[in-house]
Amino acid sequence: MNKICDDTECMARLATGDTSALRELYQRHGRALLRFSASMCGSRQAAEDLVHDTFVALLRGPHLFDPRQGTAFGYLCGVLRHRISRHFRQQKRWVELPSDEDAGVSHDPAPTDDIARSEVSAVLRRAMLELPLQHREVIALCDLEELPYHTVAAILDCPVGTVRSRLHRARALLTIRLASLEILDIDNEPPLVQLS
Amino acid sequence: MTETPHPQVAALFERFRRELRDTRPSDDLDARIARLVAEPGEFSLRRRAPLRRIRYWAAAAGFAGIAIAAGILIGRHLERTSPATRLAQQEPALPADFSLWPADSVALQIPAEYSRGGTLVAVDPHAHSTGKRYWIDVVVSNDGTVRIDRIVPAETTVKKNGVPHGITLQTP
Repeated sequence: MNKICDDTECMARLATGDTSALRELYQRHGRALLRFSASMCGSRQAAEDLVHDTFVALLRGPHLFDPRQGTAFGYLCGVLRHRISRHFRQQKRWVELPSDEDAGVSHDPAPTDDIARSEVSAVLRRAMLELPLQHREVIALCDLEELPYHTVAAILDCPVGTVRSRLHRARALLTIRLASLEILDIDNEPPLVQLS
Repeated sequence: MTETPHPQVAALFERFRRELRDTRPSDDLDARIARLVAEPGEFSLRRRAPLRRIRYWAAAAGFAGIAIAAGILIGRHLERTSPATRLAQQEPALPADFSLWPADSVALQIPAEYSRGGTLVAVDPHAHSTGKRYWIDVVVSNDGTVRIDRIVPAETTVKKNGVPHGITLQTP
């Protein structure tokens, strides 16, 4: 409760021009936002850029936050989510060409990085990146950040029922993808998707 | 709808979650945020909410107003320059006493006799009468209408009270 009050107070201070409140908000929520961004993006650099952009947006328009509509963390997640969405829309315009170094070299199926340090996590991350954005974000918020459904619903600006159905679908898609990558052994288990 | 994830997937989530928890912002990101805090002048901190809120509405209303005004002007120009309007302007104005209703009429008396077929037919007034003759009063108005006012027997012209004897038709 105090944290929520502090966040609201910080936002109010920021709206009056006190930029030290931005540092407090960053220290309080920066890591969680980076985790969300990292689980949504392909690279750590892009994830950090998007978190930075989120705080720039906050600095430009702190008065856009309305404490009656949700928490400051939810607001920041919402801003970050929009930035991520825009980032992927812009990325679609570009086609990545293979560099000379990459030519003829077989890729590691799941290269580890400083976000997914184990190979298994790297595969999970890669499978997540193949999911549609709206499914990926519910996995990131509900399963990785373990936020309650109503908080996720507030961040995504949709009903709780939509969050539940998207999560169900996202988990099913992810499980099928991981099974196709032979990460899961589901031969002796009931079917993942029950056909009616 | 949202049952727990597949146990193996849940285990993967748990492992990735642990790795994510160790993720910390890089020194570069910390430095960029610190620069944001230290040099806010590079970024606009003005309160632009009211302006931003009305900007879209004002722009939409402005465009709508311009479109309506342009439509009115184009319509008026087309109306002014259309051939029908030109023709109407060239035609002489109607007289002031012009009326759509009949203002003048002429009454004619046509002699008629019953034919053998039982119909009343017009006859030559100078011809010898073979039967009972009637006068048919016909009124022709200047609006182009013709109506039969009354049919009066030729023998009886005026009664005592001055009203002509005969069949007076009801006119609409």
